[in-house]
Amino acid sequence: MRNAFLTFIFIAATIALDGSTVAAHHSFAAEFDITKPVTLTGKVTKIEWTNPHAFLFIDVQDKQTGAVTNWEIEMGSPNGLTRLGWTRTLLKNGDEVTVEGSLGRNKSNLANARSVVMTATGKKLGAASSEGAQ
Amino acid sequence: MKWITLALVIGLMPSASFAQNGRGGLSGTVTNPDGPLARATVQAKHVATGAVFTAISASAGRFDFRDLPAGAYEVSVPGTGISTVRFVQQNVMVEAGKSATLNIVVQKANQGVLGDDNAYLAIRNKYANVRGPAPRMPDGRPDLTGMWNASVDPNPTPAALLPWAENVWKQRNANAQRDHPDALCLPGDPTPTIPLLHKFVHTKGLLVQLFEQEPHYRQIFLDGRAHPVDADPTWMGHSVGKWDKDVLVIDTTGFNDKSWLIFATGLPHTDKLRMVERYRRPDLGHLLVDLTLEDPGAFVKPVERHMTWELAPGEEILEAICNENNKFPEYAGVK
Repeated sequence: MRNAFLTFIFIAATIALDGSTVAAHHSFAAEFDITKPVTLTGKVTKIEWTNPHAFLFIDVQDKQTGAVTNWEIEMGSPNGLTRLGWTRTLLKNGDEVTVEGSLGRNKSNLANARSVVMTATGKKLGAASSEGAQ
Repeated sequence: MKWITLALVIGLMPSASFAQNGRGGLSGTVTNPDGPLARATVQAKHVATGAVFTAISASAGRFDFRDLPAGAYEVSVPGTGISTVRFVQQNVMVEAGKSATLNIVVQKANQGVLGDDNAYLAIRNKYANVRGPAPRMPDGRPDLTGMWNASVDPNPTPAALLPWAENVWKQRNANAQRDHPDALCLPGDPTPTIPLLHKFVHTKGLLVQLFEQEPHYRQIFLDGRAHPVDADPTWMGHSVGKWDKDVLVIDTTGFNDKSWLIFATGLPHTDKLRMVERYRRPDLGHLLVDLTLEDPGAFVKPVERHMTWELAPGEEILEAICNENNKFPEYAGVK
């Protein structure tokens, strides 16, 4: 029994050590659903440059109905974003961006951002540092 | 581990470059979703003997083992900070006289949320060429002062937990660690295993560690004092350090039982926890951190981790007040 117990521990612990919950503040899966990817294009209405996460708010218009919905986009911390080259004034109200991320589990019109692309320039924001790391 | 399947052994090519019988090669690239991953450590463990060979990927992510004993290998790439997660592939075959190809795709940690990885890879590459001897204190001991880019253990050994701790730990992971104290802006983890920037300020009688997580500072007394008797249990405990030749040995007791140990592993513990850290600075750019956690109330045997931190002299600790705007409890439905 003891050996079986230890074997189980080994398997379970290995899963955790290799797991994807690695995060600076909270795990992705606790708040967002990786099985529900979303791409949103809209105009910036507000930035919350705050800890532990910065939030980007965008107005997204439904192309068929014309209805506008304000979405809240969670990113990393201001410090993490700063080290990727962001500043608190990088985006201004009215700037159009396209966000790729995943939907929130418990709140509507909430998503996170794996990438933010500025429509006017085609520039992927905050990605230059890591992608140019080689 | 779905991403393990993303690695493909795409060919075994005959080669005349292997002079000795019974030896072969293994080469390929390491990439993450953004492109080639430079300075990644690729580990090839020869299953039959346990021998571990390592190669460092070049600027285009290319790695090359040219002289391996033939046989089956476990190939792994350790996680890098909060940027990429550990990659492991079993049963990679190296045949005598041939060169196998393995193209490795490592996945981003935390699904690549923008800004969450703290620019770890950019920082470590920026200071890749820091060279020189370790600075010394006036008494000749190594001076540990500096900005350190912390790292994870490249080969973590799974913890052996007592049944109650095993159950708690399984429950935590089943809940995606949503109750982690860190997510509630409490001190998450007293161990030196969080791969973020740390600033060390080292004086003769005191080592201060600063970091961008609760509680943002830690004091290690080097003035010969003992642990207080019957102190109130605290999140970070009480730390005293003394030198063993050029190794600073830090002993910490007096913990409460509220933190989750070893970063994303999230191990439970009791107030019987004792943490021993051994810090060595073999040269200017590296800090070797050996960690032992003892807790007869939670662990079957002590848990160890071994990290190599890198100097990041141009970086700074920035303010990070977690309670400023923490929406996580509401948005994740944590009561």
